[in-house]
Amino acid sequence: MAEEFEPKIVAFLCKWCSSAGSDLAGVSRMEYPPNVIPITVMCSGSVSPLYIFSAFNKGADGVLVSGCHPGDCHYIKGNFYARRRIALVKKLLEYVGLEPERFQMSWISAAEGVKYTQVIKDFVQELKPLGPQKKLRRTQ
Amino acid sequence: MVNLEELKKEARQILKEGKVKYIIGFQRSSNGLLPVPAFIKNPEDVEKLVWDPTCVYNLTLFLRDEKRKKAKEKEPDERPVGIVVKGCDSRAINVLLQEEFIKREDVYVLGISCENTGVLDEKKLAKKLKGKKAKKVEFGAKDDFVVTTEDGKIKIAAQEVLAERCLECKAHFPVVYDVLIGEKTKRNVENPFKSLEKIESLPPKERWKFWKEQIDKCIRCYACRSVCPMCYCDECVADTINFVVTPDTPAEEKAQKIKWLEKSPVSSENFVYHFVRAIHLAGRCIDCGECERVCPLDIPVRFLNKKLEKEAKELFDYEAGFDPDKPSLVSSFKDDDPEDFIR
Ligand code: SF4
Ligand code: SF4
Ligand code: SF4
Ligand code: FES
Repeated sequence: MAEEFEPKIVAFLCKWCSSAGSDLAGVSRMEYPPNVIPITVMCSGSVSPLYIFSAFNKGADGVLVSGCHPGDCHYIKGNFYARRRIALVKKLLEYVGLEPERFQMSWISAAEGVKYTQVIKDFVQELKPLGPQKKLRRTQ
Repeated sequence: MVNLEELKKEARQILKEGKVKYIIGFQRSSNGLLPVPAFIKNPEDVEKLVWDPTCVYNLTLFLRDEKRKKAKEKEPDERPVGIVVKGCDSRAINVLLQEEFIKREDVYVLGISCENTGVLDEKKLAKKLKGKKAKKVEFGAKDDFVVTTEDGKIKIAAQEVLAERCLECKAHFPVVYDVLIGEKTKRNVENPFKSLEKIESLPPKERWKFWKEQIDKCIRCYACRSVCPMCYCDECVADTINFVVTPDTPAEEKAQKIKWLEKSPVSSENFVYHFVRAIHLAGRCIDCGECERVCPLDIPVRFLNKKLEKEAKELFDYEAGFDPDKPSLVSSFKDDDPEDFIR
């Protein structure tokens, strides 16, 4: 039997909440799939759409942007700006025909190690049937 | 109906009074149907100004050049530049004001209303004329265009040869101006995003096929970028491609000059370019249609911008170019912005 496809997920996690949440999952030894390439950013609001396009371009099968819950952003409003921008990016990617499952956003607090593992588990499950992302991947 | 003489009179006046340093308008070209931009300094030259359905360009593009030129001058002439704008172009002025790229006193706006028609789609006209060459196109009396060919004059209903964007235009008169020529007529546009439906209603696979085919054609000539009045960034991510790293390149420079995409016009890189272009124009594109008109490969780039224009309206009730005092689409938010897509 062919080896099962293991999707690669690039996750942009804000330092103050989501990244801390993923650390908590780690230090609590919670189990979650090892498919994530985490990139810590200062705030979800600092994630330029270009990072997302670039991740897909460099071969990500899925991209996650995760920040603090509304009202909890370390920079007060960063995640509200992110929410707007990400909504537009999501619409654009879907419009050209990228599978909507491939690009996700979540709110994960520093205390939500469990939620983090769940988001990743779900993401991996949704990506598996889609197979590798070849549409936007650089081929040369 | 718009009276060209009125425009000329106004233009002559402000030049005579020295109110403006020059006027950017349209003049006939010695060759071809479309006009060329006119930069008029002398009141006598005002006679050259034209206004007809071939005045498709968005002249606000030249405000970018003007700003760059002025920045280099030691003792710049601080008077405003006079500029002829249509409704869509005037909204570009509003966006430039909103972004503080220009100041209101930098421009003297000669606004012209498109009233019940708009501007021409040259390709539609060519099809309609079946090989005959149009020499001149004028506004007719009844929402029609009068086209002069070697066989004489014919009337064509404007609807048949209007640019796509004009068919969907709900702001067909200038929203910012110092002088308004023509009338603020009423117009009913039922669905300003109608042209998008064809693509939106395709199943995702077909949509991908459609866009891939289109984006793959792109040769990255950047004409769409050069012609856009909103593409005024001094540095564009699309140009961070020739960056050479040597042993003494400072870390700082390397960090700032990431090679985001390759110059080669292949699918993956073209998509990055077009995504960036579309996103950076979200809430800024005023649908002057110039990007699509100049594309040598007929790539429907307008449909990318238009899609985000639609989403901005539907998700955030935001429309570009109507209010220069409002914060921009992506520098603002509402507490109840949609978040049903967030986990
Ligand atoms: S888009 Fe509207 S304002 Fe612009 S040329 Fe067409 S009708 Fe006139
Ligand atoms: S004008 Fe057309 S071919 Fe040139 S870069 Fe733009 S989309 Fe590509
Ligand atoms: S993106 Fe195209 S339609 Fe929009 S403002 Fe720029 S040139 Fe005009
Ligand atoms: S710091 Fe977490 S979203 Fe802003």
